[in-house]
Amino acid sequence: MIDWRGVVIQEARATGAADLDDHTIDELAAHLEDLYQAARARGTGETDAREEALRALRESRLAMLKESRPTRHRTRRLSGVSVAQSLRSGLRQFRAHRGFALLAVLVLGLGTGASAVVYTLVDGVILRPLPYAEPDRLVSLWDTNVERGVNHERLSPVNFMDYRGLPVFTDAAAWWRPDVNLADPGMDPVRVRAVETGANLFEVLRVRPQVGPGFPPDGPLFSPDLVAVISDRLWRTRYDANPGLVGKTLAFNGTPYTIVGVMPPRFDFPGEIDVWQRSRWDFRQHSRGAHFMEAVARLAPGVDREGADAATSVLAARLAKDFASTNRAWGLRLVPLLDEQLGYYRPALIVLFGAVGLLMVISCLNVASLLLTRALGREREMAVRTALGASPWQLVAQLLAEGTVLSLAGAAAGLLAAAIALPLIVAHTPMPIPRLAEAAINARVLGFILASATITTLVFGLVPAVATVRRKLTTDLKSGDRAVSRASRTLYHGLVAGEVAMAGALLVVSLLLVRTVGRMADVPTGVGRPEVMTASVQLSGRDYAAWPAVVATYDAILDHLRQQPGVRSAGASNVLPLDSGWRVPFAIEGQSAARANEALAVQHITVTDGYFESIGARMVAGRFFNARDTGTSPPVVVVNEAFVRRYLADAPATQAIFTTTATGIGPLGANLVRGARFQVVGVVADVKDMPLGQVDEPAVYFHARQFPFRSMFLTVEATDAPAAVAALRSTLRAVAPGIPLTDAQTWEARFRARTAEPRMLMTVLLFFGGLAAVLAALGVYGLFSWMVALRRRELAIRLTLGARPSSIGMLVLRHGALLAVGGLVVGGLLVRASERALSRVLFAVSAGDLASMGAAGALLLAASLAACLPAARRAMRVDPVEGLRAE
Amino acid sequence: MSPRTAIDEAKKGSAEILILALVERRSLHGYEIGRQIEEQSGGTLRFTLASLYATLYRMEDRGWLRSRWVEKPGQRRRCHYRITDEGRKVLAAQRADWSRFIAALGLVAGVKPA
Repeated sequence: MIDWRGVVIQEARATGAADLDDHTIDELAAHLEDLYQAARARGTGETDAREEALRALRESRLAMLKESRPTRHRTRRLSGVSVAQSLRSGLRQFRAHRGFALLAVLVLGLGTGASAVVYTLVDGVILRPLPYAEPDRLVSLWDTNVERGVNHERLSPVNFMDYRGLPVFTDAAAWWRPDVNLADPGMDPVRVRAVETGANLFEVLRVRPQVGPGFPPDGPLFSPDLVAVISDRLWRTRYDANPGLVGKTLAFNGTPYTIVGVMPPRFDFPGEIDVWQRSRWDFRQHSRGAHFMEAVARLAPGVDREGADAATSVLAARLAKDFASTNRAWGLRLVPLLDEQLGYYRPALIVLFGAVGLLMVISCLNVASLLLTRALGREREMAVRTALGASPWQLVAQLLAEGTVLSLAGAAAGLLAAAIALPLIVAHTPMPIPRLAEAAINARVLGFILASATITTLVFGLVPAVATVRRKLTTDLKSGDRAVSRASRTLYHGLVAGEVAMAGALLVVSLLLVRTVGRMADVPTGVGRPEVMTASVQLSGRDYAAWPAVVATYDAILDHLRQQPGVRSAGASNVLPLDSGWRVPFAIEGQSAARANEALAVQHITVTDGYFESIGARMVAGRFFNARDTGTSPPVVVVNEAFVRRYLADAPATQAIFTTTATGIGPLGANLVRGARFQVVGVVADVKDMPLGQVDEPAVYFHARQFPFRSMFLTVEATDAPAAVAALRSTLRAVAPGIPLTDAQTWEARFRARTAEPRMLMTVLLFFGGLAAVLAALGVYGLFSWMVALRRRELAIRLTLGARPSSIGMLVLRHGALLAVGGLVVGGLLVRASERALSRVLFAVSAGDLASMGAAGALLLAASLAACLPAARRAMRVDPVEGLRAE
Repeated sequence: MSPRTAIDEAKKGSAEILILALVERRSLHGYEIGRQIEEQSGGTLRFTLASLYATLYRMEDRGWLRSRWVEKPGQRRRCHYRITDEGRKVLAAQRADWSRFIAALGLVAGVKPA
């Protein structure tokens, strides 16, 4: 091939027209080429044809062209060529290579779609401010206790009132969650989620009812005048959005409350609440030792969280000193309200966002390496273009344009995928993620997609451009060999190694979650029969105003239940495992007063006989309750092993006498035993009485006939779940018509719900991890296929010189293993770097968990080896003769 | 003045109308323009590279032509020239001028159209 450009330039120099512009040179070169080709087509010999073209050039006075092209034309043309034409040619490229384009767009669309979905969730759930005025100034309040290692305990109402008086808060509101039955004439009774709150809750949040005046603005925080506000949801679903409801009364637990307002749609603070009752009792008239209130406060103007923390610490220290018996070691913690509401979802979504970011990077690297192989295959094309007069800039523009076409197609595919997937995800998420329903693709999400498309464009354009431009083009043209520059080779290796590393990191994280969920499932709960059916019942209303009626009804319910077909045992408890009983001060007779100053409070839990048997709790010593324990028999309690370890280690547990200060728990439960001495009759193996991840506390179990509660969970062990539910329904209909049965679930299902969030995170991460591994394996496969094709000649020489095929195969596999191990090391480092974010979603597993690393490493190694196996086999089968002839 | 020189002189004046007429119906690149002029004139009219492109650039500069690079797979890129509206007006005017001029040559000097 003749370098006509060079010819023109040389001639121009020789005739004093050295500064011809590129445009002119290109045109003249094209013209000479045409003359030459025309001559060759007529049958003229190469030399003569060349001479003919050269003659045409020499008889021209090139100098007359020197200034004939004004500069403005030159620049205009150059940019014009670049943008529109490059884009067109980019499109043409992909039309010509449909399979390649489809694969690239698919991979990119996957990455973009997944990250767009997760970004939309992050944007909707985390980034969007709460729908209250100045939401950044709202904090939730929690009690902490360093001695007990708790940092998220509910508040005592009395302490709350002290904290509320601090000037660092504009105001603070507290509530607790009673169980409320709602009965209307002619309708089935329902259990509604309710809070009993100080009247200032809506003022603290600065939200007003959509209908009605709400709680009187200047009225008291608490009042025996019973008023309540209901949610828009309850108003619409049960009362057909009747505005006449305001001013009327509704019967909550049989007590009439005047409805003074309906809150706006979607308002359900502090979460899925349908009824807000104004507190009928004074928060100050309670115990400092009873922790059952939740609270939110608005920081005063000019006060930040640190300032408020300082003020509350000072007060907490003073309370601990003044009320040592109840407040020792207790402190207060302020948590931004949004963080509080999101709970596990915030760190989970952040981890998910990081994971999907990795996936996005992997898919980009994947496509970049695809483009790179193509670019390397096109090096000759690029060399030809350069020889034909394309400047390096034009080549880069060309590649950038191809990158743009690809990125835009990928972004469009991703957006489409996200738009389809998002409503499905919102509709089918098995758990109530706060604010999820409001997550939608908006301008910010579009901006995110556009930004990622821009970055991918640059990567996709520049990676092959670097590979192309760094080549010594003339050399290639001359030799026509398939040698590939070292830079390109390194780049390709780097891209694939990057993919493997990211996939390694993702795999490690997803396996950490697998371990987390496994560890959660392995936590001993003390429940030996996970299939036991549980359901909530509350005896409220006029019929059950007196405690003997409550006791008699539960007795009747259990008697009836036990006679139902399929039922093997039945019982009841006021709290289920994983939840805590009321903490009340107590003493053990005969133990020295040395402990009098210690804040001795243990969980008081009420159960019926048959409860421990029905859940399969293990008896350690003495006996469980039985039918002979009644309101008139000697008072008895059962304690758990934690209690024995802590308080009864020195003497036989079943000889101890337990005394409590509890005369009752507000309107919920009552100590019917005259006097406070209870004989410890049995020890039960610990039934988990704290949330997952926290150490079990000492607990004392009372019998429901001696210390009854209105609201109980019935537990039924039957042949199967339907039999248990049928038994519960028919029993309630027969014994307590008008009392709703709520929330019937097996213990197993409840436990699963407790671990639903990490389970969900695990599932998504496993999916991402698997996807990442597949993409990385594709990358490895591509790299090794390319490498073997490139080194055919070298391999052929080796084989000719006597190398064994197996050693050649091993060479390839060793290389693949090295890549996987390197990737895993970098991936492991990535995981360690994000340890802090991860620690918030892990349970009993550290980010450096060796088992997860090992498993991820094994997976990655297997995937990498599998991916380079075909290449290795091809390498072993290289025919020495063929391989040498190929070049 | 030799006959050869007469044609050379006329060529200078006629180059523009020849080019405009060729690109009137479809865009052409420089080599095609040069070749078609040469072929269609039976070899009588021939431009050197320099004069052909100098003319093209001048005409483009006056707004009679517009040029555009065209790339085709497997081929060297080429600059194509296309007539503009302004160019069409000039072509019409020049055709009229040349008709009158040739008619005058016929009447006065006995030149007949070949």
